[in-house]
Amino acid sequence: MTTQTATALRRRARRTGGRAGGPGRSALQRERARTGRLMILPAVIVVVAVLGIPIGEAVYHSMTQWNGIQSTWIGPSAYTHTFSDPTFWRVMENNALLLIAIPFAVLIPLGIAFLLNEKVLGWKLFRTIYFMPTAISWVVIGMVAERFFARDGSLNSILSGLGLGFIHTDLLSNEHQALLAVGVTFVWSMVGTNTIIFLTGIATLDPSLAEAATVDGTNGWQRLIHITLPQLRRFILFASVLTMISAFTALFSLIFVMTGGGPGYGTTTLEFFVYQNAFGQANFGYGALLGVILFVIMAVVGLVQLVLLRTED
Amino acid sequence: MADTVQIPPRGPVTRSTDGSAQARRMAAMRRVRRRRGLMFAVMTLLAAVMLYPFYFMISTSLKSENQFINGGGFSLSSWGQLGGTLPWLHELLNSTIVCAAAIVIILTVASPAGFAFAKLSFRMSNFVLTGIVAAMLIPVQSIVIPLYVNAAHLHAVNSYLGAIVIYAALGTPFATFLMTAYYRSLPDEVVEAAIIDGSHHFGVFRRIALPMSGPALVTIAVLQFIQIWDDLLVGMLFLQNPSERTITVGLGALASGRVTNVPVLMAGSLISAIPAMLVFLIFQRFLTSGLTAGISK
Repeated sequence: MTTQTATALRRRARRTGGRAGGPGRSALQRERARTGRLMILPAVIVVVAVLGIPIGEAVYHSMTQWNGIQSTWIGPSAYTHTFSDPTFWRVMENNALLLIAIPFAVLIPLGIAFLLNEKVLGWKLFRTIYFMPTAISWVVIGMVAERFFARDGSLNSILSGLGLGFIHTDLLSNEHQALLAVGVTFVWSMVGTNTIIFLTGIATLDPSLAEAATVDGTNGWQRLIHITLPQLRRFILFASVLTMISAFTALFSLIFVMTGGGPGYGTTTLEFFVYQNAFGQANFGYGALLGVILFVIMAVVGLVQLVLLRTED
Repeated sequence: MADTVQIPPRGPVTRSTDGSAQARRMAAMRRVRRRRGLMFAVMTLLAAVMLYPFYFMISTSLKSENQFINGGGFSLSSWGQLGGTLPWLHELLNSTIVCAAAIVIILTVASPAGFAFAKLSFRMSNFVLTGIVAAMLIPVQSIVIPLYVNAAHLHAVNSYLGAIVIYAALGTPFATFLMTAYYRSLPDEVVEAAIIDGSHHFGVFRRIALPMSGPALVTIAVLQFIQIWDDLLVGMLFLQNPSERTITVGLGALASGRVTNVPVLMAGSLISAIPAMLVFLIFQRFLTSGLTAGISK
């Protein structure tokens, strides 16, 4: 935090030094600062009151036994206790498994973006179609996906239609397969967003680099690996981080509708576990603790992204 | 999934004077045409995959429950039953109220803040901005328990107000970030000139900067509309009174209940999806720019 302040101050010094001028302007400067503070005040109040204070409360309550009314202090040992609980690790395993979906959720849209960028007949319509599912809610997606993966659902009809009827799937009723169905649905739903990110990225590419490489006799694959992808690094990183944040914090409704976290703990991820503990079992203290762990993971992801972007500049 | 397109290596261009040059050109054109045909086919297949839920919702809602279980048939009975299962008209209204109110709050707090951060730098302003932007990383699940208990103490779990305030707060960090980026792209001279003309700083914001920021405001409104319209968790916990439920919450409650008349559920899903889809189709351009605002600085 202190380093952040330092850089902020340095930046400010640089800026104001550039244009502030003599002491004659200090009255104006003061007015400007006062207006500035007043103008940010509503946003600061909203963010502090509804996001900042509750995260502090969550940290406090994470070290208590709390049913929403009565709370007993446990202390930091609540955390060590959690880390030795096998159910907690079973849930974390689901989060870890969801990470496997990220490369698919990034690479498939990357390919689609290259495909769209060829500007084949109707590409704008295709772009709209691929992007459209971002408008529909996880609740709707979850309901359709539940029917799609069901024993008598469309997946099995398609498989038998392709002559693959011997593969009979029933992912949602198997504790160790249900997460696969959730993951596939998740990848599907990320296609639109990530494709748009990569289309934006491809539009920023410098075509002269690829042309120069073509003249140098490289093939398409070499150009992709050594020239195009490095130029897209920033976008790939952004899409990956966004996908990971979504995987860990945006799937509540999908899981709620599609599997309810089951069978067993089969599809209970950390965010869903928070809900189950707090609102299913009135275990508010433990729920708060799980929420704090989720926040820490997200903060680390955000920091890593920041560092990676900084090192690039 | 075919996600890579092989670009056929181009052979060295050798000039030949005989007629085979034309033949080669024809062959190359045929190759290009075949390649583009293949790409079109792949994109069509992908479109089918992405459109599947819409197809499933429409076709299923046009069957009765029996027809759905047994296969074929056509019936409007599910649409007839929908009103009795899901008070959709009322819930669409609730969704609209909650979305509109939250968006108004977000725009009202984020646009002046964005202007101040971009043009009126003062002591600690960058530090405060960093704090607000960092709040984007707070997952709603991490704060939902304290929020819920606080709201229950304030008797705000049975009214629009609690949900509206929470949605507004969740949207404010990103909106502030976006507005700051937008106002930073305005030349400083615009502000300085107006100040020299005797305008108050807030006046510059209200009369000059704000009227120029239409595209950014629309981007925020569209992104937040879809986000809030589609949300389940906050609505489920903070709009517990059935008469205040949003359409997504109403649908979620139906879907998690064990009464599963799939065709009726699909009719309800379609109803809930249509407004967000319309907003998406009309404002797609703004959505795209908002989405990628995080990358370009």
